[in-house]
Amino acid sequence: MSVPTVSPRGVAETRRMLAGHMNELGLLAIIVILYGVFGALSPGFLSANNQVNILRDGATIGIAAWAQTLVIVAGEIDISVGPMVAFIAVIMAFLMKVPVPLPFALIGGVVLGLCLGSLAGVLRAIFSVPSFVATLGLWSALRGLALFMTNALPVTFDDNDTLDWIGDNVFGLPVSAVVMVILFGVFVFVSRKTAFGRSVYAVGGNANAAHLCGINVTRIRILVFAISGLMAAITAIMLLARLGSGNAGAASGLEFDVIAAVVVGGTSLSGGRGSMLGTLLGVLTITVIGDGLVLYGINSFVQDVVRGVIIVVAVLLNVAASRRSGRHV
Amino acid sequence: MSASTQSIGGQSAADRAILLSARGITKQFAGVEVLRDVDLDLYAGEIHALLGENGAGKSTFAKIVAGVHRPSRGVLLLNNARIEVLSPLAAQKLGITLIHQEPISFPDLSISENLALGRDDGKPLGRVRWAELKREANSLMAQLGIMIDVTRPMRGLSIADQQMVEIARALASESKLIIMDEPTAPLTPKEVETLFGISRQLRNEGRSIVFISHRLEEVRALCDRVTIFRDGNKIATEETKNLTDAEIIRLMIGREVKGYIPKHKTTVGEVALAVEGLTLPGRFENISFEIRKGEIVGLGGLVGAGRTDVARAIFGVAPAASGTIAVNGQVVEIREPADAVAQGLAFVPEDRAVAGIFRTLPVSQNITAAVPEMIAPKGFIRHGLERTIALDSVKKMMIRLVSPRQPIGELSGGNQQKAILARWLLTDPKILILDEPTRGVDIGVKAEFYEMIGALAASGRAILLISSELPELLALSDRVLVMSEGQLTGDFARGDATEESVMHAAVPRRKVVGDAQAAA
Ligand SMILES: Nc1ncnc2c1ncn2[C@@H]1O[C@H](COP(=O)(O)OP(=O)(O)OP(=O)(O)O)[C@@H](O)[C@H]1O
Ligand SMILES: [Mg+2]
Repeated sequence: MSVPTVSPRGVAETRRMLAGHMNELGLLAIIVILYGVFGALSPGFLSANNQVNILRDGATIGIAAWAQTLVIVAGEIDISVGPMVAFIAVIMAFLMKVPVPLPFALIGGVVLGLCLGSLAGVLRAIFSVPSFVATLGLWSALRGLALFMTNALPVTFDDNDTLDWIGDNVFGLPVSAVVMVILFGVFVFVSRKTAFGRSVYAVGGNANAAHLCGINVTRIRILVFAISGLMAAITAIMLLARLGSGNAGAASGLEFDVIAAVVVGGTSLSGGRGSMLGTLLGVLTITVIGDGLVLYGINSFVQDVVRGVIIVVAVLLNVAASRRSGRHV
Repeated sequence: MSASTQSIGGQSAADRAILLSARGITKQFAGVEVLRDVDLDLYAGEIHALLGENGAGKSTFAKIVAGVHRPSRGVLLLNNARIEVLSPLAAQKLGITLIHQEPISFPDLSISENLALGRDDGKPLGRVRWAELKREANSLMAQLGIMIDVTRPMRGLSIADQQMVEIARALASESKLIIMDEPTAPLTPKEVETLFGISRQLRNEGRSIVFISHRLEEVRALCDRVTIFRDGNKIATEETKNLTDAEIIRLMIGREVKGYIPKHKTTVGEVALAVEGLTLPGRFENISFEIRKGEIVGLGGLVGAGRTDVARAIFGVAPAASGTIAVNGQVVEIREPADAVAQGLAFVPEDRAVAGIFRTLPVSQNITAAVPEMIAPKGFIRHGLERTIALDSVKKMMIRLVSPRQPIGELSGGNQQKAILARWLLTDPKILILDEPTRGVDIGVKAEFYEMIGALAASGRAILLISSELPELLALSDRVLVMSEGQLTGDFARGDATEESVMHAAVPRRKVVGDAQAAA
């Protein structure tokens, strides 16, 4: 061939690398701006104490968001996160109250999370219930069940040192934040370096083609929901440790923050595209907005409005960036 | 969203009325120039071919004219008036329709609804007259010689039928300019003939057609003039009759290409694949044949004869209801594509957009999608290794791209096809099922494909080749099977298979009654 098949290499590749990370760079800029604005508005914002708060709040969103990223990349969605976290926390609190030894209570919660997630996955993958509907059902049922079982009252249990430790700090960092960071590493690894991670992208990119490539599409779909349930259980443990009681109304609206973080992070709701790093930045953005607005002390209804606007703007910038780089059709 | 027109006077009239002129059209994607200063005039009432290698820029030019892409530079003139085509709808209003290379449709809507879509009579709340739509759809499809129930959903239609629906939609639009981007790629000679008849009729009505194809004989049969693209440049525009095939190829590629490569002489071994009594009610019945190691068995027939259904059944995509499949003499159970892959089968599907590519994923991941163990020798993916393997395939298949990280959706149609073939060659299959493997592949690369397919057979692979291109089928196959209406109706040895004998076996024997129901 007279034409080189891989034409102007170096430049084009660098350009593409940059274009591929426009979204992350943009989010980084947004976070820096948010820090500047909130730091100027409320003096307490930049304090070490508040940074620890941001980390702790971030963990609540982040752990579930890592799993949600896989779910959304696979072309699905899990909106049952908030009620599932609350329900699992309540069940664990009941177990502690009996009292069941802590390890067994926690394992019980984890198994429950896996089962509930798998249930959503089976509904989607085997019975072809759209995932939005399947998890909407869980969302409603789990919240209702938790409220019914507890009469909307907190479920208390005896103090437990280990659980207290989980709710506390190590080396000045919240344990939950440390768990979040470790899990982030695990999810980055899974999504980039394992055949499973690859398959998740393939199924979300084109399920027909994935099927032809010998990928077990059904299994991948069930697995991503099971993982989402597992992460809900871990979030529930963090929540239980932090609050010291099981609360049926806890984590309300968490699914909103989690999905917002993933989408702000550049993951496409139509599947097949997204990254953990993007979600990490998305989680930071969402958390910083929440924390900054609370510290500034504006009306909590107005907070929701501002948050909504910032989320949409972030995604708009994201789309604009990818269009500029020619990625968008 | 609307088209603005402003007059540019003083254009000297050529001896023929010019419908559309492109002046200095340039297009960049992410800084890479894929069209460079293209000037082109289309006459009213002509059929004009666009030719060029894969990735030369034909589809991009078509999409610019039809409002899918905006040019980076340059202007379009319609009847000597400058136009801004801001969207496909704007193009539609200007009387420009594009039949896409990959048919786009709404799979859950019926054929008649798909035909009615995008037709804007300016009354957003106007009532839909369903009965009328259905009647119109029926007459359109009849005009194209397609007997099909227009109330059935698009989902599940063969790629050829989808293509015919796209063509019907363009016909219904009454456009002055219809651009057909490789409309014939999935069609068999019979449909192609119908399409040509209609195209000539449209030309005689004074409408213009831009026809993109990689088949020179079609261009010669149909087109008044040809324009040749190479690497984003327009190389020449000429009357078709003034150019020989060799000249066209030289302009396109800049070198000679080998013609159809007769298959390497090979010694045929034991039976690799044997299917016996394969039946899927409503699709195909009692299909039995064998393929030996080193043998290429062609499967011919008209569109809708059930060839793809048989291939999908063998590969476990939509398994047969009864019958057996034996690999190397052992009867195997193939319920899933994964089972087929485990048995050493590979399947290149006809419909690359729906079943082939992962549009959003990098080319490298697309190429290695079926060989996870190859890029993860110790269980974990090695990105460097993946890149090396992908680049190796890119070189071997001459895939034209900017970077292996590029999403495959950005490649031209033919280059996507090469990547899919590369994907399956990496699995080192023992039995290959190729469904229209050269669909959308340019002349130069086709010759390379033929050589590659021949070499695969020579190295002991068994190959089932489904192709609607008769010359290709006849040149490559050791044996040609023919299907008609879900049954095997012909089995010809290499010497006995001619265009006539194959077509004769392909045409339905019994007259069909109530095909509309049969199709549903
Ligand atoms: N959206 C896009 N982003 C980036 N590059 C693109 C995009 N669309 C097309 N290209 C590039 O533009 C070039 C021309 O592509 P085009 O689809 O016009 O080729 P073509 O002549 O139609 O080829 P084929 O015969 O294979 O269909 C190719 O190199 C392709 O990779
Ligand atoms: Mg094209």
